[in-house]
Amino acid sequence: MSVLAYLLLAALTILNICLFLSGRSGRLDFDREVDGTGRGTSGPFGGDPLNSQLSARIFDPEDADFVATETSRRNARQFRQERTALALDWLRAVRGQVNQSIRAHVKDARGNAGLKPSDEIRLGFEFLLFQLTSAILYVVIWAGGPPRAAKFVGYSVELAGQLRRVTEDVLPAGRQVAVELLGGKQERKS
Amino acid sequence: MHGELKHEDVEAARRDLADRTLAKIRGDLARLIYLASMRDYNTGEYHHEGLACMFTESVAGKAIASCHRDVFKRLVLCSVKELVEQLELYARTNCSSSSELAHVWAKLQPYRVTVPLECSSLAGRFFVSNIKAALAILESRQLGAHREPQSALPDP
Repeated sequence: MSVLAYLLLAALTILNICLFLSGRSGRLDFDREVDGTGRGTSGPFGGDPLNSQLSARIFDPEDADFVATETSRRNARQFRQERTALALDWLRAVRGQVNQSIRAHVKDARGNAGLKPSDEIRLGFEFLLFQLTSAILYVVIWAGGPPRAAKFVGYSVELAGQLRRVTEDVLPAGRQVAVELLGGKQERKS
Repeated sequence: MHGELKHEDVEAARRDLADRTLAKIRGDLARLIYLASMRDYNTGEYHHEGLACMFTESVAGKAIASCHRDVFKRLVLCSVKELVEQLELYARTNCSSSSELAHVWAKLQPYRVTVPLECSSLAGRFFVSNIKAALAILESRQLGAHREPQSALPDP
């Protein structure tokens, strides 16, 4: 019992730290004015921050290794910092999308009498798990940089995909995103 | 029906632009610079007289925007190593040395205006970060190349 309580306390502490860190905008920020539009990260490039190709590139260690061997330490450090900032922004965008889906699901679920309580409990549990995983991921990226967090990313995105699939019956857009996520997962495996 | 026709027109204009112009430009980076140069800084719209005469102004604009997005997408997914190669190729085809290009681009940062308008801030920043790293590598290589001949000289 006491072990469980400690684990819960540790999880809550990590979550709080992450929420605190994610609220500190501008810490690792760089070149935010790049396109001068002031748009957030959720705009199109092909629009979706869950775009698997871009996220795979952000977490790919190849570039950081190449820059470290080819240029000065100062440049390599700056590059690593920029990649970390990008990875954290990507994670914020993913969390934002999942939170938006859940909010929409809750809104729609209020008027839906045909919902199964077991499904809703499962959704709630998976949402909590996603929040916890992404909070841990945030700390790992912040502390170790994107390459070290690469393994956790797959799990986090998989959870995000599960959440989208569960909510897709209520949200028509959910199906498309789930397909994209599954497509991205298959690409990574291949 | 009208939408379908329009889509076909844009596709035809895209093919025309790709076959007649972009195919003759060496390297995606040079293509990106060329496509971005056709964009009005104030409106974000693209202009190409020849293409507009063959099709319409709006069809030409959409075709250029589409090509711009495609080329940018290819470049944003390139590794830094590939970007260094692209920069070297760009310098060679534009009759400037790699060191000169690295020096001028580091100051003027013209790559910032090559990001398509519809692109996400994340992709844009990722591209800019990679180009900056590629330029730093290019500069480091040039410095290394300058030092090597000096160190090869016999000691007096």
